[in-house]
Amino acid sequence: MQARPTRRFALTEEVDFIVVGSGSAGGILAKELSTAGHSVLVLEQGPRLQQSQFEHDEYKHVFQGGITSNRPVTWRRSADQEARTGDGQLLYASLVGGSSVHFTANFWRLREIDFIEASRIGGVPGANLMDWPITYQDLEPYYTKVDWEIGVSGAPGPFDPPRSRPYPMPPLPVKSSGVLFERGARKLGWHPQPAPMAINSRAHNNRPPCQQCGYCMLFGCEYGAKSSSLATVIPIAEATGRCEVRPESYVTRVETDDRGRATGVVYFDAQGREQRQRAKAVVLSCNGAETARLLLLSSSSRFPQGLANSSGTVGKYLMLNGNTTAMGQFEHPLNEHKGAQVTRMLWDFYETDPKRGFYGGGGMDARYQTWPIVFALSGLPPNSPQWGREYTRLLREYYTRQMTVAGHTTSLPVETNSVSLDPTVKDERGLPAMRITYTDHADDVKTMQFMVDRSKQILEAAGAKQVWGPDAQVQNFAAHLLGTCRMGKDPRTSVVNSDHRSHDVPNLFLCDGSSMVTSGRGQPTMTIMALAFRAGERISNLARRGEI
Amino acid sequence: MLTDPTSRRAFLAAAGAAGMTWLLSDLGAIDEALAHAGHAASLPRPAEFVNLSAADGADIEALMSRIITSDDGPGAKEAGAVYFLDKALGTFMAPQKDGIVAAIAEMRKQAAAKWPGTTSLAALTPAQLDEFLKGQEEGPAFGQLRFVTIVGTFANPSWGGNKDLVGWKLLGHEMKPMFQPPFGYYDAQPQGRS
Repeated sequence: MQARPTRRFALTEEVDFIVVGSGSAGGILAKELSTAGHSVLVLEQGPRLQQSQFEHDEYKHVFQGGITSNRPVTWRRSADQEARTGDGQLLYASLVGGSSVHFTANFWRLREIDFIEASRIGGVPGANLMDWPITYQDLEPYYTKVDWEIGVSGAPGPFDPPRSRPYPMPPLPVKSSGVLFERGARKLGWHPQPAPMAINSRAHNNRPPCQQCGYCMLFGCEYGAKSSSLATVIPIAEATGRCEVRPESYVTRVETDDRGRATGVVYFDAQGREQRQRAKAVVLSCNGAETARLLLLSSSSRFPQGLANSSGTVGKYLMLNGNTTAMGQFEHPLNEHKGAQVTRMLWDFYETDPKRGFYGGGGMDARYQTWPIVFALSGLPPNSPQWGREYTRLLREYYTRQMTVAGHTTSLPVETNSVSLDPTVKDERGLPAMRITYTDHADDVKTMQFMVDRSKQILEAAGAKQVWGPDAQVQNFAAHLLGTCRMGKDPRTSVVNSDHRSHDVPNLFLCDGSSMVTSGRGQPTMTIMALAFRAGERISNLARRGEI
Repeated sequence: MLTDPTSRRAFLAAAGAAGMTWLLSDLGAIDEALAHAGHAASLPRPAEFVNLSAADGADIEALMSRIITSDDGPGAKEAGAVYFLDKALGTFMAPQKDGIVAAIAEMRKQAAAKWPGTTSLAALTPAQLDEFLKGQEEGPAFGQLRFVTIVGTFANPSWGGNKDLVGWKLLGHEMKPMFQPPFGYYDAQPQGRS
């Protein structure tokens, strides 16, 4: 079913576009630019796997790195500390399709407020909240493109932003966690709804419906029912005959000429040889951490603080979203390991509310995320025995009778939360490792705790025999990488304009989580994909008009 | 009961029952996927330890059998969790082998001090092993022992343990290429669905 690559560009050939990264944004940009008639070379640092190579192997995927990046990352909470590897972790996939291959597939749109919150509520002390240079209405047609071209299943809910077209597919079948989540939330007077998921609930665009195998989050879908860029747009791009996806190509530098224009990139190929490819324009879609790192690695005498960084904001305002979990134990088996991870969510606490006394908002969903090994290691309630006959008995009793309510919340853009280059730790090629400096804003931690408390309320109202979960704390783990090259009108405070063109280098475009100005409420991929559809159209138009 | 969740016949029967005719049009791809899944479920049990000595293997298995016990049904012992460790010590855990061997020797010494004449942990009774492990809980090796016991019991059989899917059966975790609703008790209740 998958299209095979039909185009190979010579290293001596100047392509119209190099797209670095083949994930949620890169895959869509490759498709949009190649179907519009441009030649496109996608350079992806990870390998190319076929769908049939995706495995249901928890130990491999959750404990042995599986399909995720193993490049070193150092972490610290503040600039006065020394960052160390092991003190924090970024989780992103490294293969053709990027993190869209292993995502859970929660596809929430942002709402109108997310684009204009700064002017609506004013500032938040300790943060640099900005409005986006575009509005929800500007992005809505592209959210709809994601719904239909990528494939999202769902049903309208009471707090949804306006949509110009219905969902292409009905919601996935509800699981027991969804039924209990609905029961609890309704008792509390809240408004649960089917979760919008980038997973086919019925055959769509020549891809099959979900087989309910239960291996979505952190796993690739062997059926192609999950709407990754690998399963959706990349085959379309390759079928144009104008797009090559070159795996195992680790881009280390964007090169520029003496006019300050990008001329191409330097990368290590699959054999570890350094190569150069020239291009009329370069698009970086490496993710919100890697794009910033690559710009910083591309410093030169002309761009001493990194490429496209005259504002000094490249890498700054890193946002990770707040993540919380609460667990509940029920009388009868739920068998949460069967079926897609998530089937119900709610948005009652989306808007920030001054009455709470702090900025922030979020959503919640019901989900499964305790595979067998994870469950046996840490899935039992606190104070449970950790080995022995009673421990074994609890494993038997609890595994099928447990569910998680997860909270997903705002991250404020804080200048000191950043991606930078580590001064001492190097990667396997001798290049500076990525260094994360991050402490959640105090309001973000309060929002997380607010969501923990409400998650527990839902579980209790649903009739759980036992409810538990950790209190909110400053995070040192992230899968959402946002805000590090944010979009804006003012070149002094932002990195790209509303066309995703860098303010400093006219033929360099940045489009991925790094473009996001605010963090939304915790599920950014739908927005990253919508931005990529919009960017693809605008960049192609600029190219056609000779304005790149 | 999980018979053979990765058999082509079972898979196609399920696919047919679900009306998944689209699947039947691409049997080559299905065979490829099932061959892959089947590989994980059907690796033969090694006749003996490859990387552990027989004495160390038996002692580690005895300890594992009191972490995930067989008191109320098959546990870590029946899952062959120790064979996961044995296999891992030949590959990604090789650098830890000397430390593990030394830790087991030290444990034997401690057991001998407690119960004079003891030459192997495997010779202790379950009650003695429980008492012994209680004394190890705060020790440096216990966390690792617990971790390899859990992985050896619950990881895919391709890693060397979870023989006959004993670990998954203990939990009630089914591994199948596909499921159909209802999945659990609550979504099977008509009043629960909406």
